[in-house]
Amino acid sequence: MNWSDIGTISPVVIAVLVAAAVLVVDMVAPGRRDPVIVTALGGLGIVAVAILIQAGRSGSAFGGAYSLDNLTVFLDMLFVAIAALTIMFAADYLEPRGLPIAEFAAVLIFAVTGAMLVAGSTDLLLLFVALELMVLPGYMLAGFARHDPYSTEGAIKYFLLGSFSSAILLFGLAYVWGITGTTRVDGVAAALATVVATGKIAPGLAMGLAFMTTGVAFKMAAVPFHYWTPDAYQGSPTPVTAYLSVGPKVGAFAIALRLFVGALGPLKADWLPVVIVLAALTMTLGNLVAITQDNVKRMLAYSSIAHTGYILVGLAAYAGGEQSGLSAILFYGAAYTFMNMGAFAVVTALQRRPGVSSQIATFAGLGRRDPWLGALMALFLLSLTGIPPLAGFWAKAYVILAAIQAGGWLTVLAVLAMINAAAAAFYYLRVVVYMYMREPTGDAAPSSPGALFRTGLAITGVGTLIFGLFPALVAAAADAANVFHG
Amino acid sequence: MSNSLDSYLVLSGLLFAIGTFGFLARRNAISMLMSIELMINAVNLTVLAFGAFVAPLRVHAAVIALLVIAVAAAEATVGLAIVIAIFRNKKTPLVDEYDSMRD
Repeated sequence: MNWSDIGTISPVVIAVLVAAAVLVVDMVAPGRRDPVIVTALGGLGIVAVAILIQAGRSGSAFGGAYSLDNLTVFLDMLFVAIAALTIMFAADYLEPRGLPIAEFAAVLIFAVTGAMLVAGSTDLLLLFVALELMVLPGYMLAGFARHDPYSTEGAIKYFLLGSFSSAILLFGLAYVWGITGTTRVDGVAAALATVVATGKIAPGLAMGLAFMTTGVAFKMAAVPFHYWTPDAYQGSPTPVTAYLSVGPKVGAFAIALRLFVGALGPLKADWLPVVIVLAALTMTLGNLVAITQDNVKRMLAYSSIAHTGYILVGLAAYAGGEQSGLSAILFYGAAYTFMNMGAFAVVTALQRRPGVSSQIATFAGLGRRDPWLGALMALFLLSLTGIPPLAGFWAKAYVILAAIQAGGWLTVLAVLAMINAAAAAFYYLRVVVYMYMREPTGDAAPSSPGALFRTGLAITGVGTLIFGLFPALVAAAADAANVFHG
Repeated sequence: MSNSLDSYLVLSGLLFAIGTFGFLARRNAISMLMSIELMINAVNLTVLAFGAFVAPLRVHAAVIALLVIAVAAAEATVGLAIVIAIFRNKKTPLVDEYDSMRD
């Protein structure tokens, strides 16, 4: 280790310091909201600057365990944006419930630090440790409202299945390490390339591969490994749900890129059929169950499962020989972040007053009660549906296009994705119908959210529009971040 | 067979299977936590067996095992905290009865 290593991982180091600074600030001025938020958001701004300074450079640290490339920069920026938006949405929700914002922000930034480390890790062991750093704070956040039975129930389900899947993933990693003899991603890829050339995969290696696939599928909530998702999302405090639905999900796809594409790339013909089946099951089942939900948080949980399926189509397209599948995954991750966080932010805005449920009836008449909030929710839902010219349309278009170009069975998968996108319109638009065509029920309109919250909403809204109107900008960045050419 | 890599891999595989079975069959949150610990320790045995019988992996194995132990400890801490929190709310450790969100 030397100073240039520290320089390479400087965004991660600064993020850890920011989380610590938030705790110190809370110790100096206990229970005050503004100093904490200024420290957290200002600190994340510094992290963003540190990431952007590194843009375009490439290098590695700690003997090749961590690499800095365009993929790291792209994903790091996304994770910082997720953290900043979550803090903006959380403050107004936590305060009326008497939950401490400082601890929330610190735990959240630690989680994002783990996600940033995942994005850059090119070593199986570092990947696992970074993954744990990402998910352990996530379990804490899910149970953050510890006197609320729903929150703790969501947390325990998330924790038990999460650590179960971590153990399975670790078992797979141990076998891949034991048989290839290295933990470095490029070393594993080289060893596997010789294995493929000789044409015979050892049973131990096949087992390791199967366990790793299962572990990662749990993390990204792919069917049939999705059982924790609805309860964890519905039970968690709503801003936490907003974070969980994008942060760990993009993190899981970062693992998929580093692990499946980076390390297991030579075996892609072997894992392609598995990914095709997972993608088909995930989007179909996610959408079918989402249709029957009356709770908007739970509906969005199943919708996030369905979106995992669409993203998996991009991974399958890559394994089918179409490089642009990976760029499509990155574009989808970025677009999904803005539109889904936006949708959860509107739910958060309605639930700021404790006791308001996330049932669909809460949305009745929202278009008239609060035209701005209603219009934004409609925007996010239309984008999630995939209506042009919004972010979600291009996200779906890119993965489906990549799958069609790959050809073969992937064409069938692409058609299935299109059918699913059409079916999904039913449950997204149902909320829009409630907002604009039903009379408001219950008591008065919610007071309008604070300035910070409105800023966050504006960012997600503008992001959804910009991604839709100028997709080429983000697509170019996603293309540059696709470092797996050749 | 008695003192070979294979025998240790079989042993650790069995331990892992017992842990998996325990996780799926038990309904007590604490027992499920213990089953997860058993699975992680089975992985550690796998790692150490590779290290003991494959000379180039020896140094790696010790480092990996230490890190895995640290991660397992952190996981157990968070897990027990969550179990305590839900026990205070629900007065039961049985996961069957954590069903307030079922549709």
